[in-house]
Amino acid sequence: MAHSGVVSETASQPARGRLTQRLQQWLPKLALAPTAAMALVGIYGFMFWTGVLSFTGSTFLPSYEFVGFEQYAHLFSNARWATACANLAIFGLLFIFCCLVIGCFLAILLDQRIRNEGVIRTIYLYPLALSMIVTGTVWQWILNPSLGLEKLMHDWGWTSFKFDWLTNPDMVIYTIVIAAVWQASGFVMALFLAGLRGIDPAIINAARVDGASLPRIYLRIVLPAMRPVFFSSVMVLAHIAIKSFDLVMAMTSGGPGYASDLPAMFMYSFTFTRGQMGLGAASSIMMLAMLLALLVPYLYSELRGQRNG
Amino acid sequence: MASQIEKKLTPSRILIYATLLLACVAYLIPVFIMIITSFKTTGDIRSGNLISFPEVWSFEAWAKAWSTACTGVQCNGVSGFFWNSIKMAVPAVLISTALGAINGYVLSKWRFRGSDIFFSLLLFGCFLPFQVILLPMAATLGKMGLANTTTGLVIVHVVYGVAFTTLFFRNFYVGVPDALIKAARLDGAGFVTIFVRILLPMSVPIIMVCFIWQFTQIWNDFLFGVVFASGDSQPITVGLNNLVNTSTGVKEYNVDMAAAMIAALPTLVVYVLAGKYFIRGLTSGAVKG
Amino acid sequence: MAQLQLKGIRKTYGNAVQETLKGIDINIESGEFLILVGPSGCGKSTLMNSIAGLETVTEGSILIDGRDVTNAEPKDRDIAMVFQSYALYPTMTVRENIAFGLKIRRMPKEEIDAEVERVAKLLQIEPLLDRKPSQLSGGQQQRVAMGRALARRPKLYLFDEPLSNLDAKLRVEMRTEIKRLHQRLGTTIVYVTHDQIEAMTLADRIAVIKDGELLQLGSPKEIYERPSCRYVASFIGSPAMSFIPLTVESDGGNLRASLRSADGEQIYVPLPETLAAYEGKEIHLGIRPEHITQPLAHKAGQEATSSGKFRIEVTEPTGPDVMALIKINDTEVHCRLDPDHTVDPGEPAELMIDLSRAVYFEAGKEARIDI
Repeated sequence: MAHSGVVSETASQPARGRLTQRLQQWLPKLALAPTAAMALVGIYGFMFWTGVLSFTGSTFLPSYEFVGFEQYAHLFSNARWATACANLAIFGLLFIFCCLVIGCFLAILLDQRIRNEGVIRTIYLYPLALSMIVTGTVWQWILNPSLGLEKLMHDWGWTSFKFDWLTNPDMVIYTIVIAAVWQASGFVMALFLAGLRGIDPAIINAARVDGASLPRIYLRIVLPAMRPVFFSSVMVLAHIAIKSFDLVMAMTSGGPGYASDLPAMFMYSFTFTRGQMGLGAASSIMMLAMLLALLVPYLYSELRGQRNG
Repeated sequence: MASQIEKKLTPSRILIYATLLLACVAYLIPVFIMIITSFKTTGDIRSGNLISFPEVWSFEAWAKAWSTACTGVQCNGVSGFFWNSIKMAVPAVLISTALGAINGYVLSKWRFRGSDIFFSLLLFGCFLPFQVILLPMAATLGKMGLANTTTGLVIVHVVYGVAFTTLFFRNFYVGVPDALIKAARLDGAGFVTIFVRILLPMSVPIIMVCFIWQFTQIWNDFLFGVVFASGDSQPITVGLNNLVNTSTGVKEYNVDMAAAMIAALPTLVVYVLAGKYFIRGLTSGAVKG
Repeated sequence: MAQLQLKGIRKTYGNAVQETLKGIDINIESGEFLILVGPSGCGKSTLMNSIAGLETVTEGSILIDGRDVTNAEPKDRDIAMVFQSYALYPTMTVRENIAFGLKIRRMPKEEIDAEVERVAKLLQIEPLLDRKPSQLSGGQQQRVAMGRALARRPKLYLFDEPLSNLDAKLRVEMRTEIKRLHQRLGTTIVYVTHDQIEAMTLADRIAVIKDGELLQLGSPKEIYERPSCRYVASFIGSPAMSFIPLTVESDGGNLRASLRSADGEQIYVPLPETLAAYEGKEIHLGIRPEHITQPLAHKAGQEATSSGKFRIEVTEPTGPDVMALIKINDTEVHCRLDPDHTVDPGEPAELMIDLSRAVYFEAGKEARIDI
């Protein structure tokens, strides 16, 4: 009986086996298919499409009459785009710098075996759970030239205090830096704290045994080990800066005038409210280029590091 | 010995605690201001200052923000927007998490030639400046008849959220020993059974991370909401922005703050209840992203 | 129980230049306990995964009871495997872990329950049945992993370094347990390890693998006493076999060689006649520590034994023995002494060399000279 079983099995197994086997082989790929389609169209297809649009004279509706680099030429001669880019430089650099300094500083302090560390960490991080629109609304109120901080200081007796950055075209971009740093610095703190916790305590003990002082240990051993954390923080912050849109929208709507415009604001208003689709597309391609200018060298060094390590 | 040193309150340790506390105050004060302002009356705002408590605690501003404040031409408060956000966020979170789980499973345990390249290509979606896809997406949604609908918003959030959810699940499943999959295969389990019976029951923590991350992202999104939705499908962030920037009439900061609180509450509640998972998502998203 | 045939198994990964398995041929008899042993990266785990069907082979065929399963899915091979990391399903109880494979095979519930009971009794894990794997100690997890394998009553068991994650004491206990189970159930087992003591104690036959090649396949005794090559000779046994360079000389028709101590003293040892072809040439003498001892009365005067004074360089007492290091012909040589036979490091001691079990290698060549 056992024999006949084996025979019938070998006879039927290959055909049926091959079919289920092939299905098993295809199932994983089949499972990825929806995402693959979405990514192919939604990320790469649309990116390409926008690229195409940026070479057309599209206005309110897409048109496919090609105008070469005309939109880019318009873009670079546009004073408002120049302001937006200059603002992005100021905003981006200050935002990244302040977040790194504050985040790193707080992380080091929190790493000193602090009681209630969990509670403190939670407080530093909660702004990240808020929408940029909420953040913008709140800071718009706090920095309100007549009723906000200024009035508070007057009430406290500092009557000459004047704070009108929100309506001052030269200073308005710094108000956005303040709000953005308030929101995102806790994030850098979390990254650095995780990095600090990842350092082998034996190394620090060894340095202690060698007689190094605590500040020296941090400067010479701990902070150099934070290099990867530093770079990934910069990447994430720069990414936030380039994409920044909601915060400006909520705090100043780009005003006064277009003094606090950022590229993302520029893109939105030219594309969707002023009906200059071609120019908007060109500006978004420039934003992509900025991001790639940061991302490509970063990924390159990451990958090279991995290969060497 | 070390612990003995730690317990002594030296001047330098007092300084550390003082600095940390000061930072806590700095982080907390805007929300504190938001809360007390939302309970003030209009007169109270004129007479008091930023951090003075309300003379009388009033829910007027909240009521107005919820149901009668003007958001552009309409004056129905933000309640409609709030429900729109819920209708948008819940399905988008569920679908993107489910897709991320399946993708992560395949990309970690059923890798095939090209699957790593696919993963890298997908990851770029985490870094994409969304401005670059707005126009084609708007055109496509229009063609599909989904422009200005909640369904359209759900699709957009799924498409651009799945890169993150895949990253979360993939990194989580990479940590699950391959021997577990081998054992299950020898036990006779196939692709689906292994996922449903072995991996999913282990995935509760990462599902939490994913839910919370996606919920926060989608709830807080403004760009997609303002571009792809109009009128009766706009999410709360757009509603809040419209309310704050409506130029008709006198500016009512108490109503603005109440509306901001309404917009912030769901994510704040989630953060307070499950902050651990939120932070995990944040750091793991950044380190690998 | 089943017979397993591996015929010319070759495996090359992706676009790797180097073959991972370079043609392995092994026949494993029904009920046999075969151990695959070798250094890490030698291909033994790849071979194991290939038998299980978790990896495909590039060439060759695998037969279980004469049925070709080379391209069959793992589940269709009727094989169970015990993993180094145990690989217990963490969200299931012990009972569910053991029953999982049976449930998938749609066995009726009563039969599953009975089978779980049987296995639990066999491995004495009945009190653990409703616990989760995380609540078990390493040794208990190991037992459960074995229980899961036993439950399906498969044709073939694969053990992939199952004891490597246990501490030394538990490892010895579990080793005995596995041996007892094998003797009682008469199962066919293929067992991978890099631990040569495990290999020696458990196996019916040992397959020594290195760089994807089968160096030797034989009983533990054969492997130990008649290693096919230098690598096998040094891999099995601890401390390892020592290799002493010497020149084959002729002394009135008898072959001999001189052994020089570190102090310059020289003794002559007799060599077997079969080495005649190597007269005047340098060959290497392979000798295990237990064959260089303090003078033993019962061996004195035998043909293959000789004695001499050698300076003891280092001693390492292990309890039952004292391992000592001496120098012969400028090569370090291990010897095993009785702890009651006191020797002092740096001082010469009278030692007896027994060449009756010695093996010989051509200088610069791997293979053993057949004598």
